[in-house]
Amino acid sequence: MTSTSLPGQLPDATDSPVDTRPGRPAARRVRGEPGGHKIIVSVIMAVLGMAFLLPLVWLILAALNPHATSGLSSPAFSLDNFRAAFQAGAGRAIANSLYLAGVSTVVATVVSTLAGYVLSRHYVPLKGLLLVGVIFLTGLPVTLLLIPIYQIFVKINWLNSPFYTSLVLGATSVPFAIWLLKNFIDQVPRDFEEAAAVEGSGQFQILLRVVVPLIMPGILVSAILTFINSWGAFLIPLVLDSSPGDTPGAVGIYEFITANGQVQFGPLAAYGILFSVPVIIMYIISSRWLSGSFSFAGGVKG
Amino acid sequence: MATISLEGVTKSFKGKTAVQDVDLEVADGQFMIIVGPSGCGKTTTLRMLAGFEKPTQGQVRIGGKVMNDVPPKDRDVAMVFQNYALLPHLTVEKNLSFGMRIRREPRKAIEREVRAVAEMLGIASLLGRKPAELSGGERQRVALGRALLRKPQAFLLDEPLSNLDAALRAQMRFELKRIHAQFPVTTVYVTHDQVEAMTMADQIALMNEGRLQQVAPPERLYSEPSNAFVAGFIGSPKINLVPATVLRDGEQPVISLLSCRVPVNGDLGSVLQRMDGDAVTIGLRPEEIQPCPAGSNGRPAFQGLVELIEPLGSETHVSVRVGEEILICRFPPRSGLETGATINVQFDPQQMKVFDTASGLRLG
Repeated sequence: MTSTSLPGQLPDATDSPVDTRPGRPAARRVRGEPGGHKIIVSVIMAVLGMAFLLPLVWLILAALNPHATSGLSSPAFSLDNFRAAFQAGAGRAIANSLYLAGVSTVVATVVSTLAGYVLSRHYVPLKGLLLVGVIFLTGLPVTLLLIPIYQIFVKINWLNSPFYTSLVLGATSVPFAIWLLKNFIDQVPRDFEEAAAVEGSGQFQILLRVVVPLIMPGILVSAILTFINSWGAFLIPLVLDSSPGDTPGAVGIYEFITANGQVQFGPLAAYGILFSVPVIIMYIISSRWLSGSFSFAGGVKG
Repeated sequence: MATISLEGVTKSFKGKTAVQDVDLEVADGQFMIIVGPSGCGKTTTLRMLAGFEKPTQGQVRIGGKVMNDVPPKDRDVAMVFQNYALLPHLTVEKNLSFGMRIRREPRKAIEREVRAVAEMLGIASLLGRKPAELSGGERQRVALGRALLRKPQAFLLDEPLSNLDAALRAQMRFELKRIHAQFPVTTVYVTHDQVEAMTMADQIALMNEGRLQQVAPPERLYSEPSNAFVAGFIGSPKINLVPATVLRDGEQPVISLLSCRVPVNGDLGSVLQRMDGDAVTIGLRPEEIQPCPAGSNGRPAFQGLVELIEPLGSETHVSVRVGEEILICRFPPRSGLETGATINVQFDPQQMKVFDTASGLRLG
């Protein structure tokens, strides 16, 4: 087979509007930009950067210093604070958080993928209104819903269960995830699904074997956002699950602030670092996945 | 393998009729090509056969069974899409075996058949690649292979060659015919390209504005078009359609065409007898008009001006202006003509096609 140039694949160099000829106004302006601007911009960026960086520096220094205070301390290298954090139940709390975040992520992603697919592909009465409603829900503060949810949980005896708590956590992410995934599914050409259908696939096989693999980047974005949302959740687990063994990380960290009426800065910082590790790992994984892997190249079009 | 039939099929989308009252029979093993200009309803017709659209009225039958409410997966048809629709996340091998895996066929059989089809189509060396790494022609073959592995009752092809360049298209036309000869499965093939239709079809169904215009084998469609639209659609360069009037010379009906008066006898004559003064349209194929010396034999002839000469090597297309009309003629190569020269052309009145201008229908 010889490689062919196909109709519809025109070189896009020809329609580039950028004028690169020297001496043109655009080029002159860039070259003649006064150096002062650059310096001012750099200074502002540096100040902003410091504002974000300083707390992180404090966190690391405090975690390693057994006599840490609220001020920046001189570097020390002791793991005592980490030991203290673990003794205070950091391990258990992180495991609880992993459970809550994991279950809520799976539930929210499955529900949102199904809902997004139906909203994208099928006739749904009043679909436009429904979608507006979904957007509206993304902006609704969870706090508003918490009291009725608590009352429902009391009625059906779901309180103090990590599983049911994670369902609520997942539900708080569902509206945004539906919106995100519906938009991803909208981008999948229907030809793919029709091709699978004539090959003998039923609705669920089409969803699992065609749509889900194609929108995997979208599913991952949605899953990561749900995970991070549930990971940092404080109010919902605090209200819905008060059994001491179920305390997740975000609630547990509070104990270092209120216990004994004073703040234990060292263990607090160590706990904070331990608590951020899973999220940092998620970010690293996701950045690898999200760098432009959403593409139908080669599937359709010449 | 199976017959396919459409009976009184109509499809409307939100009040807009895409396909109107189509009756079409495709015999077992036949290669049927539905051709027509864009928006004529040919793709909608195919999609109703595949099950992606449900007819508003009428019945779709495959293998004698009514298919109106049968979902695509249970119709036992294979489809090749204009855009190929290869799944981009799967390798060529997985794309080819997709249907067989869905249908849970034994792994040994899948491997064997995928290999056999890949070798037949010359894509055996590409099995490990993803669609994005293939050229257009290769993707086309993979899409074809996937359809073949379906071993369907019928093949449905939706403009499968339209994304290929001209040379590759000619080659694939030949290969599709070869494959059909090897596996004579009932095939419905949709295209807007009359060359594809003429070269590949057993039967051509020509559609326009949602309606079936004529169903006939290629040569008959060319020589016996049932109306002016069919005559104008099939043939390149296009047939010359020239306005004319029916007159009477005593009892003899005569067609007044440009500067000529052509007496008409026989069946057509008796039809025209009743149309005195009516407008008709005369169809003359470019090859039916020949240059001739001035004032010769009894054939109708015109004198005109050479407006444009298009030498194609094997033949020359010459546009001749006669009065208000321009006649396109197909002359032998190196005809020695010059633009602006005066030329005499003639035609055989037996070959001219007469259409009723009002209805477009062929009179004779």
